[in-house]
Amino acid sequence: MALPERRRWFGNRVLATLLIAAVASAVLLPFASLSPNRLVSGQPVMLWQALAGWQLATFALIGLLLLIAALAGPLPRRLALWLSLGATLPLLALDFQALGAYAHGALANASPAARVSQGATFWILLFVSALIAIDALQRLRLGPAGRALYGVAALAVIGVCFSGELLSPVSIMREFANQRDNFIDQLVRHLLLVGGALLPALLVGLPLGLLANRRARLRNGLFSVLNVFQTLPSIAVFGLLIAPLSALGRAVPWLGELGVSGIGVAPAIIALVLYSLLPIVRNTYAGLAGVSTGALEAARGMGMTTRQILWRVEIPLALPVILSGLRIVTVQAIGLVVVAALIGAGGFGAFIFQGLGQYAIDLVLLGAIPTIVLAVIADFALQILVSLSRPSGTR
Amino acid sequence: MIELQGLTKTYAGKNVVEDVSMTLETGEFGVLIGPSGCGKSTTLKMINRLVPLSSGRIILNGDDVTELPAEQLRRRIGYAIQSTGLFPHWSVARNIATVPQLLKWSKSRIDDRVDELMAMFHLDPAEFRDKYPHQLSGGQAQRVGVARALAADPEVLLMDEPFGAVDPITREALQAEMRRVHGQTGKTIVFVTHDMDEALQLATRIALLNNGRLVQYDRPIEMMVKPADDFVREFFGQADLGLKLLSRRWVHQYQRPPSLTHHATLPGLDHCWRLDEAGRPIVLEGARLDDQHQHTDVRSEWIATPEMSMKEALSRMVWYRVMVLPVVDETGKLIGEVGMQGIMGIESDGGLHAGGPAS
Repeated sequence: MALPERRRWFGNRVLATLLIAAVASAVLLPFASLSPNRLVSGQPVMLWQALAGWQLATFALIGLLLLIAALAGPLPRRLALWLSLGATLPLLALDFQALGAYAHGALANASPAARVSQGATFWILLFVSALIAIDALQRLRLGPAGRALYGVAALAVIGVCFSGELLSPVSIMREFANQRDNFIDQLVRHLLLVGGALLPALLVGLPLGLLANRRARLRNGLFSVLNVFQTLPSIAVFGLLIAPLSALGRAVPWLGELGVSGIGVAPAIIALVLYSLLPIVRNTYAGLAGVSTGALEAARGMGMTTRQILWRVEIPLALPVILSGLRIVTVQAIGLVVVAALIGAGGFGAFIFQGLGQYAIDLVLLGAIPTIVLAVIADFALQILVSLSRPSGTR
Repeated sequence: MIELQGLTKTYAGKNVVEDVSMTLETGEFGVLIGPSGCGKSTTLKMINRLVPLSSGRIILNGDDVTELPAEQLRRRIGYAIQSTGLFPHWSVARNIATVPQLLKWSKSRIDDRVDELMAMFHLDPAEFRDKYPHQLSGGQAQRVGVARALAADPEVLLMDEPFGAVDPITREALQAEMRRVHGQTGKTIVFVTHDMDEALQLATRIALLNNGRLVQYDRPIEMMVKPADDFVREFFGQADLGLKLLSRRWVHQYQRPPSLTHHATLPGLDHCWRLDEAGRPIVLEGARLDDQHQHTDVRSEWIATPEMSMKEALSRMVWYRVMVLPVVDETGKLIGEVGMQGIMGIESDGGLHAGGPAS
């Protein structure tokens, strides 16, 4: 007796799973919360309570389109992928629009202290659209240009949502409005700390990687030292640096005037440089070691000087690996700078620790979300840079 | 012309190459051969100083280049290696242009030279110029590697087992191509191999090394008929010396004018060839021209080319059991024929001991 043939319902199971997760959260978890002031926790508000009819209908329409894209039958594969990729942009826009519109309505007649915050379903819809987009981009095998184009489009949608008054009544945006000048300061400070750490780390790390490649005897010692730095907890390093740096700042007055002291920027940058060194040195070494010996022998045999071999052959061939190292340390540094706020270096971490102290969750988010956004943008941009740096022959 | 005088290489107190001296006249194809570890590759790399000399001198076209800065010397000497060493991030054209670029030739001169070399190696510039090494077959990559080595018209070309890593069929094609290019360019070539057949195919001079010493340096035929000692005799092998000699003979030396149709068979086998409209021979198996039924198998392997070695031609005659093969040119047109009797004819005329190598 023949077994009944099992039918495959979904052509794209990832998309199907994400859709189910989105629908389940829309039914079970609140979309927003309404509270009388910023410190107490609020009343949950479900999606169908928060939304007007046309918004629900649009959500349903987008959901239906995504369902059709996920099914095995109706659409050709690539068309379905393009459809799901395209659907993420209105989904993103509608998620923000719905939250803003609800906040405007709910707060119109409430006391000025009342707050509307985003709930679990808001976040899940945001992440689901991001995951659908990532999945579709991978399956479509879009090159760097296509990925960059989608990234710009998504940023544009988010930018439009944030540009007007749409989201201003939402609690986190009111925190932002209170902190507006401070926010820009901390953003600049955060970026300066990251840049201030990466630049010296590159200046030291790239030559060290080259040295590790050239001198086999130095290599093991170098990597063990760098490994030790990598295993130390960041808070411990910040703590350990306080005593020697404040002593140094006092002992050498011109260093003290430059801002070298036990707390603040100096220990933060020193610690970040130490953490960044290992990935940079290791990837520089690995990239150079990966250059084929045949190419090196030919380059020498044809009369290239050591310097010409380095710049024309070794560095171009090692660049993708070196840039992957830079990608790792950039994302890592953006996250570590948050901790540096503990020793007074500033950056988005300042909001997080301030918010934790006040038990003001939206203030914590005002620090956390931009940090995540920065890390994602840096990761995305460097990923594109890595694929651009691949030799055209091997891309 | 290149002269090696007393080349010696000492590693950790041991001489891996000891007092190697030889002179290669301009246009000669010198092959360094010997068992593995005999120092042939080290000797080659001392010529462009990838391996520094412990002692000895190198004279290139009358100049003592022993003290010349290594980079300058290497730009005067072409270098091709087994792994091709093509730069994976550069296109074929840019790879070939490597040394001219180092020498700061003008762009138009480089472009012309690249096209010229690609044509010499039968690589269509329109198709291959912008390809990258990973898009090439092994044989194509090796051709590009040799073209790159010849790009700046070097005084000497060094080749370190260049065809060691390709399959046997490709290797034969590359050897034939190398013979042709050597004939066209008249380059002085120093070539390292461990493959005796390859050495006999290519060399006008063979240097046999053993334990870092030059055992005998001579023309290929002299080495076979007048080995310096037992090591040389054993290395060349005695059993198939006759066949080895034939591998130094070329079909064009034995070729005679074609009979328009031919009928040469061993008992029990009928075959003949006739010409198609373009003048190409079509070999018919199991048929006679006067047979009414024109037909049966057309055998395209039953042919020889002028550049083919007589060893290969003989092998084909034995394999297909025919006394005569038609000889065709590059376009497949019939230009002559070569047969069993021809082989015997020349060798019995004293060709065995008198003739020099074909160069």
